[in-house]
Amino acid sequence: MRRVCALNDLEPGEGLRIDDTSPPIAVFLTEEGTVHAIDDTCTHQDASLAAGWVEDCRVECPLHASAFSLLTGEADQPPARRPVRVHRAEVHDGEVWVEVSTAAPNLPPGVTLP
Amino acid sequence: MTASIPGSVLIVGAGLAGFQLAATLRRSGYDGEIEILGAEPHRPYDRPPLSKEFLTGTMSAHDLGLDDPGAPLQARWSLGAPAAALDPATLTVRTSTGATHRAEAVVLATGCTPRIPAGMGPAGADSVGGGAAGLPEGAFVLGCLDDAVALRQARVAGARVAVLGGGFIALEAAATAVARQAAEVTLVAPESLPLAGRIGAEAAHALRELHLRHGVRFAPPARVHGLSADAGGRLRAVRLQHADGARAELRADIAICGLGAAPTTGWLAGTGLAFDGAGRILCDAAGRTSLPGVWAAGDCANWEPSGPVPVPRPAGGHWQDAVDHATVIGAALLGSGPPALPPPYFWSEQHGVRLQAAGHLIGHPRLSAGGIETADLLLVYELDGQETGILGMDRPREVTRWRRGRARRPAVVAA
Repeated sequence: MRRVCALNDLEPGEGLRIDDTSPPIAVFLTEEGTVHAIDDTCTHQDASLAAGWVEDCRVECPLHASAFSLLTGEADQPPARRPVRVHRAEVHDGEVWVEVSTAAPNLPPGVTLP
Repeated sequence: MTASIPGSVLIVGAGLAGFQLAATLRRSGYDGEIEILGAEPHRPYDRPPLSKEFLTGTMSAHDLGLDDPGAPLQARWSLGAPAAALDPATLTVRTSTGATHRAEAVVLATGCTPRIPAGMGPAGADSVGGGAAGLPEGAFVLGCLDDAVALRQARVAGARVAVLGGGFIALEAAATAVARQAAEVTLVAPESLPLAGRIGAEAAHALRELHLRHGVRFAPPARVHGLSADAGGRLRAVRLQHADGARAELRADIAICGLGAAPTTGWLAGTGLAFDGAGRILCDAAGRTSLPGVWAAGDCANWEPSGPVPVPRPAGGHWQDAVDHATVIGAALLGSGPPALPPPYFWSEQHGVRLQAAGHLIGHPRLSAGGIETADLLLVYELDGQETGILGMDRPREVTRWRRGRARRPAVVAA
């Protein structure tokens, strides 16, 4: 696991993009107080899910409104059809730790890993 | 009023609205028969990239598919034959091949068909997928996948490209032609400020400036009078008629028609359905038509306005309308109180700038952030002291917060 940010860096209902992983991940603090981490890039097109809308443990892509479950990564409606990866996230002593999934990411067309 | 849940559903149209309705029904646990009729031979695919990422090569035809290949939609497909007739008494649809299809509920989701310049192509605008027939070589429309495949194969690099029309598809096609390294791209529209009627003069001005910075030329306001071809049938020029009646020619190697689209409803004449002036099927606020057991969704439908700002939505609907219509009809078919139709939402992408708008773009826009020159503006539209809509350029977070702060995402109906 690796530390990605402090819990204080997160705002309820908002996402934070973590850029120093490849591909970037997004960390969310829900209004209910739970912390989740998924891939930041929408599987449909290059958009940052950290800028999306969090509700009912889902994040809605800020571009085309597919919503991804923060628990399973599944998308609920077009245009996205593939899930994002979900990463295990834990909070210890006010720090957020994430274990990045070893699965292959579902990157959108035109986006490749550096 | 409660109606029993139909034992079978016939969806006429295999576009986004039809696909999304079937997916909504299945996700809600509906186990009756679903049959989907499609005019094109293709399984449902996403159309917005046809004027953008599909043309630049970023997305392939496979990328456009709406269905999940790993968990395909459970439905019966009858593709490649447009619907030809509806018998409202028996809820039976006949296709061009003569085959008949029948169900306990029929949902019309036939979309629309691109308009082509006057005097070109087959009579009437209701031939789906054959929009380019009759046009000179080098002239294209952008309605369906086959249209986009043809334009993708065209030699745009180094060509003189004329884009005909002033709507979103025309502006996107112009930006894409620049990205494909056209020698020159000229937009021909009847308006001096394209899209001003739709998004307001301020936002339209910002878009125009963005296109000018990327080298797009704007012809003096003119209507397309026709296309001229050489002896070999190749496009030579676009014939224009300016507002003062003067005629002119614009030499072009490639012409892309973005002249809007007409609802694909001509085949429904005489059924007793009610239509608006544009030919869209009139529906109540849950998608019911004037015929019992017949519903309509997407671009071919005009729903009764509802919600806090009950203004009619313009013809030539948007992607999100099709999804929202399908969600509402799905709930209504399953007998639950259908959710209210969310406020309008649409997006576009031009020259790498993402434009998004939510709500109703009426009243007076106030510049909330950014600017026209930097193509990063955020406009909030106000009427009688109330915020009615928002438009952002590269402002996904702000637009999403405004939109979702006003209308929660409709929950999936319980199974």
